[in-house]
Amino acid sequence: MGDLAARIVEQAIKLGCQDAISDVVTNRSYQIRFARNEPVISNRWRERAAWLFMVHNKRVLLSDIKDLSKAEEAVERLVKIVQTSKENPEYAGIAHGPFRYARTRPDPKILALDDGSDHVDAAIHGALEEGAKECAGSFWRYEEAHDLVTSNGVEAQDHRANLYLSIRALVSLESSGHGIACATKLSQFDPDKAGHKAGRIAALAKNPKSGKPGRFTVVLDPLIFGSVTDQVAGRLSAWAVLAGLSPFGKKIGKRVASEALTLYEDGSADSIGRKRFDAEGVPTRKNLLVQKGILKTYLHNTSSAKRFKTKTTGNAGLVFPDPHAIFCKPGDWSRDELFSEVKDGLWLTNTWYTRYQSYVTGDLSTIPRDGIFRIRKGEVVEAWKDIRVTDNLLHLLKNIVALGNRTEQMMWWGEVSVPNFVPYALVKDVGVTKSAE
Amino acid sequence: MPDPDLVDYAVDYARQKRVAYAEARYEHQTQEQFILKNGVLDAVFVGEDQGVGVRVLVKGSLGFAATNTLTKPEVRATVDDAVKVAKASARKTPITFAQEDAVETEWSVPERKRLADVPLDEKIREIGEMDKAVMALRYKVPARYFQMSNNRIQKYFANSEGSKIHSYSPRLRLFYFLTVARDGDIEQTYRNYGWSGGWDGVRTLDWKEKVLEEARSMQRSLVEGKKSPEGKMDLVVGPQVSGIASHESCGHPTEADRVLGREASQAGKSFLTPEAIGTRVGSGLVNVVDDPTVEHAIAYYETDDEGVRARRRYLYKDGIVHEFLHNRETAAVLGTRSNGAARAVNYNVEAIVRMANTFVEPKDHTVEELLEGVKLGVYMKSFMEWNIDDKRYNAKYAGREAYLVEDGEVKHPVRNTIIELTTPAFWSAVDAVGKDLEFEAGFCGKSDPGQALDASLGGPSMRLRNVSLR
Repeated sequence: MGDLAARIVEQAIKLGCQDAISDVVTNRSYQIRFARNEPVISNRWRERAAWLFMVHNKRVLLSDIKDLSKAEEAVERLVKIVQTSKENPEYAGIAHGPFRYARTRPDPKILALDDGSDHVDAAIHGALEEGAKECAGSFWRYEEAHDLVTSNGVEAQDHRANLYLSIRALVSLESSGHGIACATKLSQFDPDKAGHKAGRIAALAKNPKSGKPGRFTVVLDPLIFGSVTDQVAGRLSAWAVLAGLSPFGKKIGKRVASEALTLYEDGSADSIGRKRFDAEGVPTRKNLLVQKGILKTYLHNTSSAKRFKTKTTGNAGLVFPDPHAIFCKPGDWSRDELFSEVKDGLWLTNTWYTRYQSYVTGDLSTIPRDGIFRIRKGEVVEAWKDIRVTDNLLHLLKNIVALGNRTEQMMWWGEVSVPNFVPYALVKDVGVTKSAE
Repeated sequence: MPDPDLVDYAVDYARQKRVAYAEARYEHQTQEQFILKNGVLDAVFVGEDQGVGVRVLVKGSLGFAATNTLTKPEVRATVDDAVKVAKASARKTPITFAQEDAVETEWSVPERKRLADVPLDEKIREIGEMDKAVMALRYKVPARYFQMSNNRIQKYFANSEGSKIHSYSPRLRLFYFLTVARDGDIEQTYRNYGWSGGWDGVRTLDWKEKVLEEARSMQRSLVEGKKSPEGKMDLVVGPQVSGIASHESCGHPTEADRVLGREASQAGKSFLTPEAIGTRVGSGLVNVVDDPTVEHAIAYYETDDEGVRARRRYLYKDGIVHEFLHNRETAAVLGTRSNGAARAVNYNVEAIVRMANTFVEPKDHTVEELLEGVKLGVYMKSFMEWNIDDKRYNAKYAGREAYLVEDGEVKHPVRNTIIELTTPAFWSAVDAVGKDLEFEAGFCGKSDPGQALDASLGGPSMRLRNVSLR
């Protein structure tokens, strides 16, 4: 399909465009969704499309051509359309290749995996063994191939495949836990462990009491701490900063978190978000985002980098720069040490629905779900329900006291949008509110 | 449209494979999207998306497969895929579908001014003028983001029971996000408007004036806004707040697939159980309906994505849980009929239980009459931050445009009023309902892979007595 991408780019340039990118994407993913301990549907995709970016006299157009048999007519039509659009004076071009890319190839055993039922069964079995009554979730075998060609000398291919499983285990409506399994190699995929974790939390969360408002020292499980770091990474997109959707504006070089927090973005490292290149064909790399609490960079494509007088970080997004995968530098606390530090506080295992009253100040709330536990003298003394974390993103980051010494790869529906490698985190002075009856 | 034979072929071929049920859904979506940030047109997206999704029921298991290569061999392979994955997903409790009549029909939403006939530069001018009008107010507006889109959706649905349905649905949407600043203080807002129909919707909805009204109220909040009063008092909410409550605190908990646990791992479950029909959740004045047939509402449709005819559904009636939203699968489990709530965001995903246009049914009070009865309280016209737990019981709405009310009179703006109430506490406090029904659009998120789907959220102003505010 590399020929097709090249033909599309060549045609766009011949018709008068100055810049063009085509990414021909083949999707052969497969999924099993399950609920109430059984599969509810299995899905399989056979899709191929050409993503197209073209620029004519600083007029920028994006498209996806789904009918590849008519790609030539589509390009001709799209070039006519882009000419009638409006100039983007901030457009600053696309990266100049060619580039050298890391050699990566998907695990052949993942490519050969034709049925994920055993993995679903393993996860459900693990949760039920811990005492769960009802399990729901998804198993994915993602497979995508990219052939990317740009008018600035890039010709690149990337074949990505990985496994993912998300399981929620319930003892009852208000007693639940969540587990995640991610792997780029079949041999590393451990759905049984994810099921056990979900089931264990669900069983521990039995008979929850209504929580109380206040300010608490909190242990964040990796899944919910991944929601926090995912928020950070998303808000560090230069586009979000310019659109007023970030509390990190004008904070490069300033303290945004406690010394305990060092965060990297790295699309080149082994993760289920690994990519050889970004949407401009720039090789992905390790970007230091936050070093010991000091903000180091936003995420950029070529245009946003020029606006901020810096270089692309390899995070295009042709309009919106975005993160590929986030890595939190682990601390040196064991899980037990983190818990024993909590004299009177909470352990939160998951959250959802993070929303802002002000993106610029970072004022937000988010709703813990699954196990919520009261901790006294380092021990779980009871399960809670029906609370909300009402706080501020920068306040949360600055109040990180300590991090666990082991990271886990987290990604989850809605809240953790890209893989986040995160440890347990201990955060002080976290605001908790609850509903009036 | 491709040859409808391809869809019929998929169904016929699936029948030959002795499946219990088969359906094929072709969709062709033509979309334009304009992204304007701080007065600069970042990019225009012009997409033409098409493909066929096939769903089969085999020995009580569901399989779904999709392709965008529209040839007979590829569609045949897609049917084979759907059957294969269904067979690999054996269940102890077989899935069945509620009985429905076969439907043969063709429907379309009329466009007075066809979206396809409006030149690109006119659409770009429209979004640009909104931005210019905001800047002409001469407030400090450091961040503005407008996203306007139009989408023309053609579908052909056929199933093994004889349904054959052609449809055409043109849609318009405006989303904007504004930041207004003054003396180091800021107000932020976003709003979302939608329309089923032609370009004439832009004038009917008068987007530009709505944006300007919002910007003026933000400036006023910054200049005159004071701390919101705290404690138990009366609250009058505007249509935007009624709309979000109808969607989050009624529509979602009455989705039967949530009630039955199919969404447990993603969008969650519901505080309502299958036995909850007939239980009280609000005052006798509360009627919340979901109605796909509201003309020009963005989620308008006449038949759902399982080929079932759409109708108005009373979710809460007189404050009592009246009906769940169903597709054919959930209806069969609960021993009822589908009420036409199955929808998919595109050809390449299964249709699941979704809201369409969800709103509080209006009654007869004017806003002035609602306010007259308030000795001390807050009039919250709109919200910014909101969220709700995954069983849809604990909701929070934080005020964007809100005012102090004393002795029935609207006084100065108040900032960041917080409503944090349980679902029954919210609906039980309603003691009067207005007649000023309005809709806004939303993207409703659910399922895996995620399906962010067009939805309308609406209602009139309502008065709530003696609720806790912060």
